[in-house]
Amino acid sequence: MLDLKLEDIDGILVRYNVALEKEMTPDEAAEELYPKDELIYPVAKAIYEGEEDDVVDALQAAIDAGKKPIALIDDALMVGMGVVTQLYDEGIIFLPNVMMSADAMLAGIDFCKSQTTEVPEPRGKVVCHVAEGDVHDIGKNIVAALLRANGYEVIDLGRDVPVDEVIAAVEKEKPMMLTGTALMTTTMYAFKEVNDKLLEKGIKIPFACGGGAVNQDFVSQYELGVYGEEAADAPKIADAIVAGTKDITALREEFHKH
Amino acid sequence: MVKKYTSMAYANADELIFGNSKFPVKAGLGLEIGAGYTTPEVNYAPRPGAGASKEKLIKEYERITTDIMARMVQIGAPSVVLETEHVQQMSNNPTWGGAVAHAQKTIMEEYHDEYGIKCALRHTIGDIREDRDYLQLRGDKYSTFMEAFEEVANNGADLLAVESMGGKEVFDYSILRNDTAGILFGIGVLGSMDMEMVWSDIADVAKKTGTVASGDTDCAQANTAMFIAGGLLDKNLAHTTAIVARAISAARSLCAYEAGAVGPGKDCGYENSIIKSIAGVPIAQEGKTSTCAHSDLMGNIVMQCCDLWSNESVEYHGEFGGTTVQCWSETLAYDCSMMNVALKTGKAKDLRDILVLSDKYRDPQGYVLAYDNAYKVGQAIAKDGENNYLRSKNAAIECCNIIEEGTNSGKLRLTRFETNALAKVKADLEALTDDADKFMSDNLTKFKQEVAVFKLENYGL
Repeated sequence: MLDLKLEDIDGILVRYNVALEKEMTPDEAAEELYPKDELIYPVAKAIYEGEEDDVVDALQAAIDAGKKPIALIDDALMVGMGVVTQLYDEGIIFLPNVMMSADAMLAGIDFCKSQTTEVPEPRGKVVCHVAEGDVHDIGKNIVAALLRANGYEVIDLGRDVPVDEVIAAVEKEKPMMLTGTALMTTTMYAFKEVNDKLLEKGIKIPFACGGGAVNQDFVSQYELGVYGEEAADAPKIADAIVAGTKDITALREEFHKH
Repeated sequence: MVKKYTSMAYANADELIFGNSKFPVKAGLGLEIGAGYTTPEVNYAPRPGAGASKEKLIKEYERITTDIMARMVQIGAPSVVLETEHVQQMSNNPTWGGAVAHAQKTIMEEYHDEYGIKCALRHTIGDIREDRDYLQLRGDKYSTFMEAFEEVANNGADLLAVESMGGKEVFDYSILRNDTAGILFGIGVLGSMDMEMVWSDIADVAKKTGTVASGDTDCAQANTAMFIAGGLLDKNLAHTTAIVARAISAARSLCAYEAGAVGPGKDCGYENSIIKSIAGVPIAQEGKTSTCAHSDLMGNIVMQCCDLWSNESVEYHGEFGGTTVQCWSETLAYDCSMMNVALKTGKAKDLRDILVLSDKYRDPQGYVLAYDNAYKVGQAIAKDGENNYLRSKNAAIECCNIIEEGTNSGKLRLTRFETNALAKVKADLEALTDDADKFMSDNLTKFKQEVAVFKLENYGL
């Protein structure tokens, strides 16, 4: 078969990912970000490594040394997860690392809760769902994991969720944000219905939508819609709301990229 | 009756070429697929809201069909395939699917009668075998699922297809956790088991109705990996991991042909070049012409040995140049015209190699799917063709070896992250048992514990 000479390949295509790769390895970058406290460091490191058993062991050691279980959620688990999300945002580590870290962090939170009667205070509550008629939920699962990893309480309604069930959950849970994902153009239409029924009830919360065939033009058609191009946008939208940007137009200004 | 492939259809990789397959398929109105020419296959989705009623849906597909056929005649295209991927209403209500097929075929017959244009209608049934929380592969919905095939076959569809989802619950969990054994188990073992059941039954429907059991695609799994992997700068999944999932998917999608399908394989099955090398069936592919639906890093290379050239799917609406289906069918038809000229002038292999080289070193995915390497993956599958697990594992290991050869040549360049991910996958694979029963038993135990939605009854276990 025909082939290209090695020196000709760069004129055909450019491997920008190879050309721009960071010098530092992920482990080295993480090491720079870990907190120095000798009780917190092993928790953060175990979160980064996604090792659930190590997280629990490190938490136990911190509790034995006098740290309060509930305080450890914010001071150790969230700090460790902060390292992970920062490295992900900077393109140093990839999504599976984040998912495994999120699993480890949830195991850590469960452990902390089991060691006390105190109740932790989440950063905010988010209801997540996959559009009615749509059973493709891997995007929603990523969104939910990333939100949890960033300290949000997630009410996960699952997939193929009837519109009325979404509305009922929002009324009951009173979240700061609702997310909707869909793979298909034929099912994403349910988002508009959710939007209209929320407005009928006078509920005006940001409704972050994305996935598959969902696009910015479509999401812009309904009043509460904020388009998230990537799953990683969900915690960023939530962060913006927590920071005070509750107005949909302002959120669109920040997150609508096209 | 499932008869496994243990040898290659082609004596060598160089025989793989677009427009020609070892076993061409006659279908529809005067069309023969893989018989010396390529044909555009146009795929479309109705506008949101068009599925509100049966009547609205039929009308939408009538407009789509007329638009495509009219444009094909206007530009002098000799042949076309229309692919209708069912919206859920059409598969959940089989008579809807049947009515749409009938309406479409009526229009296609009119064009065929008047202009002689060769054409065929593919209907891809939605894999509706699930309830809200779980896959329900063998449950109550199975009879509706099969009825959907029968209805479209009895009402004008020529080619029957599906994008089946067996193993997806384990795969979705595993791909997000870099769990190599889980990826292999989901696609290569569970996916293959489900494929053998589904395609034996679809082949029976095709036989009974005089239609063609065409083929499947591992869209639900390997394409999920490809989409999560994304472009060069995306950081969601190593592209080396994504192509290992793809190599495994060839062993899985091959099961359709072992159970009685004859091709053409489905367009979004990027594993189809591997399958063609083993089974000799005609295949549909999509590349640069599917940018209306998604981006990939293999825009030209996948054209290398296609028999149908597709656009994946485009929502029906207006563009400056006509409706979307008119614009995209025209683009496809001109691509096919180019390939057909190359075939007639003895330049097909040159064109094929140019298409391949424009993408081969862009990404490890294209590198492994280049026909010379795809053939090697095919050989690894056929070597242990009788055993779904071993052949999937072989495909994955061969894929790793091919990438290593590419990087050793200096022509395929990987990031350190991709290199490390590849090393991990390869080490994971080499640590796996050669005993299929043990692999099954170990992974059943593991995933029953870890994946709440994994139900053994879906696989007859």
